[in-house]
Amino acid sequence: MADRNISGDFLVPHLRSQKPTIKSMPLKTVTVRATPPVLILLSLTLMILHRAGTLPVERLRAAVMDVTAPVLSAVSAPVAAFVDNISSVASFENLKAENARLKAENARLQKWYEAALELKAENESFRQLLNVKADPAMSFVTARVVSDAGGAFVKSVLLPVGARDHVQKNSAVLSGQGLVGRVIEVGEDASRVLLITDLNSDIPVIVQGTRIKGILAGKNENLMKLERLPPDSGMTVGTQVVTSGDGGQLPPGLPVGTIVSAGPQGVWVKPLSDLARLEYVQVVHAAITPALSSGDIAPVAASPADGQ
Amino acid sequence: MDSEFEGQFLATVGRWGLALAALVAILLLSAVPLDISGFAGVRPFFTLMAVYYWSIISAAPPLAVFAFGLVLDFLSGYPPGMTALLLVAAQAVTAHNRKFLLGQSFLVIWAGFAVVALAAGVVQWLLFSLLDLAPVPPVPPLISVALSALLFPLSVLPLAGVYRMLVNRPEPP
Repeated sequence: MADRNISGDFLVPHLRSQKPTIKSMPLKTVTVRATPPVLILLSLTLMILHRAGTLPVERLRAAVMDVTAPVLSAVSAPVAAFVDNISSVASFENLKAENARLKAENARLQKWYEAALELKAENESFRQLLNVKADPAMSFVTARVVSDAGGAFVKSVLLPVGARDHVQKNSAVLSGQGLVGRVIEVGEDASRVLLITDLNSDIPVIVQGTRIKGILAGKNENLMKLERLPPDSGMTVGTQVVTSGDGGQLPPGLPVGTIVSAGPQGVWVKPLSDLARLEYVQVVHAAITPALSSGDIAPVAASPADGQ
Repeated sequence: MDSEFEGQFLATVGRWGLALAALVAILLLSAVPLDISGFAGVRPFFTLMAVYYWSIISAAPPLAVFAFGLVLDFLSGYPPGMTALLLVAAQAVTAHNRKFLLGQSFLVIWAGFAVVALAAGVVQWLLFSLLDLAPVPPVPPLISVALSALLFPLSVLPLAGVYRMLVNRPEPP
């Protein structure tokens, strides 16, 4: 049993022979015994009050975010670089295959680029013909994700940009691929983003190529469920889903995800971005013009499922 | 006499600095994105490991544990009090069994943590389901519990190192 003693002794030292550093007093013992139940009750009360909406914690939350975001920001950069380095060493062998894949993708994208230029010109001429008022150009602030502490129950991330950078509550947050969430709390220098996969996230969407609207509900899982669809709305797997702009919280036409299954278990949508490893995201500044939020699709959305 | 006082003062400052550094390290482990796909959704309960460990080797003040839990709640977007409740409860239960655990082999202590982690996962799942008025998906928290139990010995190694540095005062010259 020598082995057991070595590991056990190092990890959990036997303390009986050691002098306690702080002398315990009777009063202290009483307080220490009474504190845990009191604190547990306090925690439960806090949770219930917060659930009932009577606890004004937003300011306190924002203050904690403001204090911790710079620290997390300073630390998460080297951590990300370190993990990146490890994965780049690991992927060194795959360089050749990766190169071939990228070349093929480049050729494919070149075709898309030409198609896009053609469509853009065509679109512009139609707009001129119809005298359509153009969507206001969206402005962004780009930020690095500094914390994703939500764990198994909450899907949210922390950004080191806040009111000082003109971030507002309910602003849309995008990655390179599409919508990832919306801002739910704003501090001076930090803000929290509720990801589209969170249980509390409901995004009004429209199925591209159709006029079918629905609500894209997060389920705390990798996929989201398309709910409140009109009856007998046939869905095709692979179709893209974009924001509808209904409710006026998010701009219309932001790509959100792709339908991956449609059947008796409901219609399930996969986010376009890998929400489990977000690095840089963009927070949209633009105020939404009510006249344009009635289902028009902005030119940002381009679906590989359509066209060709 | 003066230099002895100075030495003790420096040692105290060093100990507090080290304890603070350990605390910040745990906070970061619980919050910083690790760029491993899927990791964020099943992040192990690093804080629970630290609280469990510290409750065995020395009496951690419940108020500090509560405050730390509350900060984590604010940081992670949890309902305020969720992590605080779990950490305080875990600490109370561990402290209650401290005398038994201290005399045991590391394997028993490890098993003890697995039980505490499972209980924490179940309680958290129940609380979230009650707050959302519908059962939340149970698989991710279960993976979190399993990962926590698996990683416990690895996480405890640096904690044990820090503890040793904290209690071993420098020898007087």
